[in-house]
Amino acid sequence: MKLRNLFSLETAFAHCDVPCGVYDPTSAKIAARGAVAMIDKILNPPKIDEKDANSIREFHNSMTRYVIVKEQQADICKKEILILWTDYFKPEHLEMFPDLHDTFWKAAKLCSDVKRTVSKEKGEELLKTVENISEMFERAEKASHK
Amino acid sequence: MLLRIFKVSGHSMMPTLNPNEKVLVSSIPYLFGSPKKGDIIIFKYEKKFLIKKISKVEGGRYLVEGENKNDSLKVSKLNRKEIVGKVIMKI
Repeated sequence: MKLRNLFSLETAFAHCDVPCGVYDPTSAKIAARGAVAMIDKILNPPKIDEKDANSIREFHNSMTRYVIVKEQQADICKKEILILWTDYFKPEHLEMFPDLHDTFWKAAKLCSDVKRTVSKEKGEELLKTVENISEMFERAEKASHK
Repeated sequence: MLLRIFKVSGHSMMPTLNPNEKVLVSSIPYLFGSPKKGDIIIFKYEKKFLIKKISKVEGGRYLVEGENKNDSLKVSKLNRKEIVGKVIMKI
């Protein structure tokens, strides 16, 4: 009689839900940069010839695109930040980063501010916060491989 | 649990353990000693059994990871009581 027939067979999972623990703050950084780039474009709009109907249409088209992309990129940034916060960082990281929850909460709020406003200051603050999160991630990764 | 058989599902333990391979798991080794770095273990995680290798023992807690780092869930450090048993052999 084979050994395996003596026991009931159970399943041990060697994976998780896709994407299986692949975390990287780079996506959040790129999205934050994208949103800030759109703020710059909105604050420095293309020239418009108000006597030229085509120029007016081009202007509105460009501005609409900038706003849409700003909204999209800030949303991607928020989503990526929330994934890192809720999936990557664990309770044990609070010892290393006592302000972890506050940092992520403020970062998520900043993404909303960037969507809601055309504020260069808010954009720069978001970039700085995402950079801070990226450094936290790098430190956590190094600590886990010691 | 003294002996149990598990079928591996997923790729995170490749190349050591491939999907659908079967392993014999026992709690007996841990009756006489503690889990050690390098042990392949089964543990309970969110109502599922997961299979990973112990990569670090720190303060009585166990850090585990898969062999295939690109396809491995990161989990919190485990307590001793969460470890179900040690993989003894492939069958």
